[in-house]
Amino acid sequence: MGTIAIEGVRRSFGSVEAVRHLSLDIRDSEFFTLLGPSGCGKTTLLRMIAGFTEPDAGEIRIGGKRIDTLPPHRRNIGMVFQNYAIFPNLTVAGNIAYGLKARKFAPDEIARRVTEALVLVRLSGYGERWPHQLSGGQLQRVAIARALVIRPEVLLLDEPLSNLDARLRVDMRGEIRELQQRLGITTVYVTHDQEEALAVSQRIAVMHSGRIEQLGAPEEIYRKPASLFVARFMGTTNVLRGVAGARDDCGTRVRVGPSELLVPVLDAREGEALSLCIRPEALRVIVGGEPLAADSARLEATVRKTEFVGALVRLDAELADGTPLKVAVLDDPVAGAAPGSRIALAYDPARVTVFREGAP
Amino acid sequence: MNVSAVLRVAPLARLPLAIGTIAFAFLGLFLLYPLWGVLSASILTPDGTAFTLDNYAKVLSRSFYRASVANTLTIGLLATLTTTLIAVPLAFAIARLEIPGKVLLIAMATLPLVLPSFVGAYALVLLLGRSGIVTQFLNAWGIPFGSIYGTLGIVTVYTLTLFPYVLLPTVTGLKAVDVSVEEAAQNLGSSPARTFRTITLPIVIPSVLSGALLVFIETLENFGVPAVLAEDKPILAVEAYKLFIGETATNPSAAAVLGVLLILSTVTVLIIQRRYLAGRRFATGARLAPPLTRVGLGWRVAATGYCWAIVLLALVPFFAIVVLSFMEFRGPVLQSAFSLSNYAELFATAGGPLANTLLFATLAACIAALIGVPIGWVLARTRSGWTSLLEIVATMPFAVAGTVLAIGLVIAFNAGALVLTGGWLIMVLAYCVRKLPFTVRSSSAILHQIDPALEEASISLGVSPLRTFLGLIVPLMLGGIVSGMVLTWVTVASELSSTVVLYSGPWRTLTIVMFQALEGTGAGMAVAAASVLIAITLIPVVTAYRLLRRYEFSML
Ligand SMILES: Nc1ncnc2c1ncn2[C@@H]1O[C@H](COP(=O)(O)OP(=O)(O)OP(=O)(O)O)[C@@H](O)[C@H]1O
Ligand SMILES: [Mg+2]
Repeated sequence: MGTIAIEGVRRSFGSVEAVRHLSLDIRDSEFFTLLGPSGCGKTTLLRMIAGFTEPDAGEIRIGGKRIDTLPPHRRNIGMVFQNYAIFPNLTVAGNIAYGLKARKFAPDEIARRVTEALVLVRLSGYGERWPHQLSGGQLQRVAIARALVIRPEVLLLDEPLSNLDARLRVDMRGEIRELQQRLGITTVYVTHDQEEALAVSQRIAVMHSGRIEQLGAPEEIYRKPASLFVARFMGTTNVLRGVAGARDDCGTRVRVGPSELLVPVLDAREGEALSLCIRPEALRVIVGGEPLAADSARLEATVRKTEFVGALVRLDAELADGTPLKVAVLDDPVAGAAPGSRIALAYDPARVTVFREGAP
Repeated sequence: MNVSAVLRVAPLARLPLAIGTIAFAFLGLFLLYPLWGVLSASILTPDGTAFTLDNYAKVLSRSFYRASVANTLTIGLLATLTTTLIAVPLAFAIARLEIPGKVLLIAMATLPLVLPSFVGAYALVLLLGRSGIVTQFLNAWGIPFGSIYGTLGIVTVYTLTLFPYVLLPTVTGLKAVDVSVEEAAQNLGSSPARTFRTITLPIVIPSVLSGALLVFIETLENFGVPAVLAEDKPILAVEAYKLFIGETATNPSAAAVLGVLLILSTVTVLIIQRRYLAGRRFATGARLAPPLTRVGLGWRVAATGYCWAIVLLALVPFFAIVVLSFMEFRGPVLQSAFSLSNYAELFATAGGPLANTLLFATLAACIAALIGVPIGWVLARTRSGWTSLLEIVATMPFAVAGTVLAIGLVIAFNAGALVLTGGWLIMVLAYCVRKLPFTVRSSSAILHQIDPALEEASISLGVSPLRTFLGLIVPLMLGGIVSGMVLTWVTVASELSSTVVLYSGPWRTLTIVMFQALEGTGAGMAVAAASVLIAITLIPVVTAYRLLRRYEFSML
């Protein structure tokens, strides 16, 4: 069983607390992602699982067995490094066979498994090539094959795609996810790219200065961010500062300057300062006399700038008091709203997230 | 955290700690302990019980020894100055001008680094000395010729043998100036000359100075050149040797005083370097070196002539020695007949020393690699308090003259639990300690180019740290290790300054044969021995030139 249990793990470098008293349970066969901005401690946490960084405190268990006391070469963990770490003095097959030789497998067993692994990562026939003859994407596949061929209990990947170009990155992440599902191996994936994390993960832990800020499924983290930090980190969002107003059956009214927004009922007292988050794509431009859907609320704004980016049109708008508001709409003739024109926007109050913290 | 957790050594820290322990034991026993021996001999009363500054007072009250300090420093400064003055224009020409045969020129310019400098000094005596060939020729034509003994000769030899120490880093520095920096200056309205003065020169000056400091240190520590050329002029390294070995009465405490003075001078220079230079190397991150500067034909001819003249002049003495070795000598007098009799005599009487030289060089190269490569790995991969200390101790031999280290080794190991004097082991140990910085520095430099993730990948695949180091990292470092060993081998083969203190009857080396032949009348033997030395240093260097250029010379 490839469950990973992390309990009260802590690590600091000098005065920097890279990971602060962190606990986490990763399920068997799960594709789990550590996501966060640079320096938040993702790599440190991953390297503590692998054994390359010693925790100052805490315990780590894999399949119920404590591993943080084992030296790294006895942990049977597959690891894929950011810059591949392919041994330049060995062929592709030599690289893949490396861990098997360390485990003293018979030569024919090694040959069989290497061939199998090459097929797995779609590199059949590349065994005798040298690393310098391969492209970045192929090297990445060799690294994955090399890590998987030892049949590790868990697979760790530290920003494995950051050295590839944008197109290949999208292809490879799909490949990695597909492979992981096929093998059912518990996988911890580190990235600072939120789109990548959303696309491949079953669960995501968003980290911030050595702590887990939020843990959950991709949709949950995107739609129901637990903090302003998560809301901002998970893609473009509008953060509006407002003051709680009256409550009725539809929800609570929040004043943002002279405008008023409707949000789900909350137990804030009137006059309390709040922050509202609403994603650009949760706002919709209402055309002419189009009636408002029953569950929608309405907001007036002035268009300042439009940006056409293909499938989407981004509008930079302003509320009456000048508060900027970003709107994203699918390409549509209506989106051609000229700068300076006034538009009406519709939104579902349920898609507004409210934080009882004053936005900084 | 409980006590056992504090005492527990992290698995990945075990190998570095084990290596560190061995390294400290080795360097402590064969470097620090002998140096302590020198220091204590200089500051303790003869019975070793009380602290005294008498020895210093006595030595420094003699004008002869005060002169030795002054001479050593003066000669060092003069040689550093002349070396820099000839090497910087040379570097500029090589880096920026079109010079025919540039590749060969650079290769030949590095040779003086490995050729034994005291052989060069001896060649100067043979050519320009009192009964030198050129001197006699000039005298026959009635042209007066002054003496080359003393300051003039020593500075000349230092200049011709040490200029690569300034040349190589300066060329590297000039090539590291990114073209865009100079273009930016010119784009802002700066003339080419002003750009050179205000941009290029300030960027390369730290490289020039660090090379110059190396030259200065080399001159302070050198024994062979002043031994051949100083005559009556007292020089620290030579006087320390004379006081210690003493033909009439030995005076170890006075020798120790001179040794300490010598170390103090080099340490001062090194501290200056650390303080004022270390932080001043500009990281330019050059992606594109500036193109060759276009100059008129006249300048081109002049530059070409200058470059080739310097490089050839530096090699002429060695070439002369080889030619002379095939001529007949009667005592010190040269006959105009070719013969192989010098070699016949050399191999008849000095077969043992030749074998010793080869054996010691090989042993020292192997042991230095065995100890130095793991130390280099620790220094490159582990950062903590004790590794900084290890780094200082492992580079310390740079600051210790061979003569002084050898005196220390004798003081430390001629009595007591471990007696080594009189044998060959003490010589090999001295060589290992002296050359250790080569292997340490080159290993850690190579490791900085090897991604540490490779080691982690290997360990995560189930290979222990020790087997990862031996099976994966050492093969990846092989080019650098081999070139470090070649350099060690070559410099040990021509080592004189510690050998002269440590050798004993059956363990003479080729350099000792030559040294003794110089003092006696066996000029024929001496040139033959010198030629063999030139051959055994040159052949490996030429063979491994590509490796050396890539891993060793690039680090100056
Ligand atoms: N070996 C180390 N020595 C000192 N500080 C370190 C070391 N490793 C990490 N840190 C510090 O710990 C903090 C967390 O680093 P870590 O590498 O885990 O971040 P990360 O989330 O992986 O960032 P990135 O996305 O940039 O890779 C940072 O402040 C970093 O500077
Ligand atoms: Mg990282």
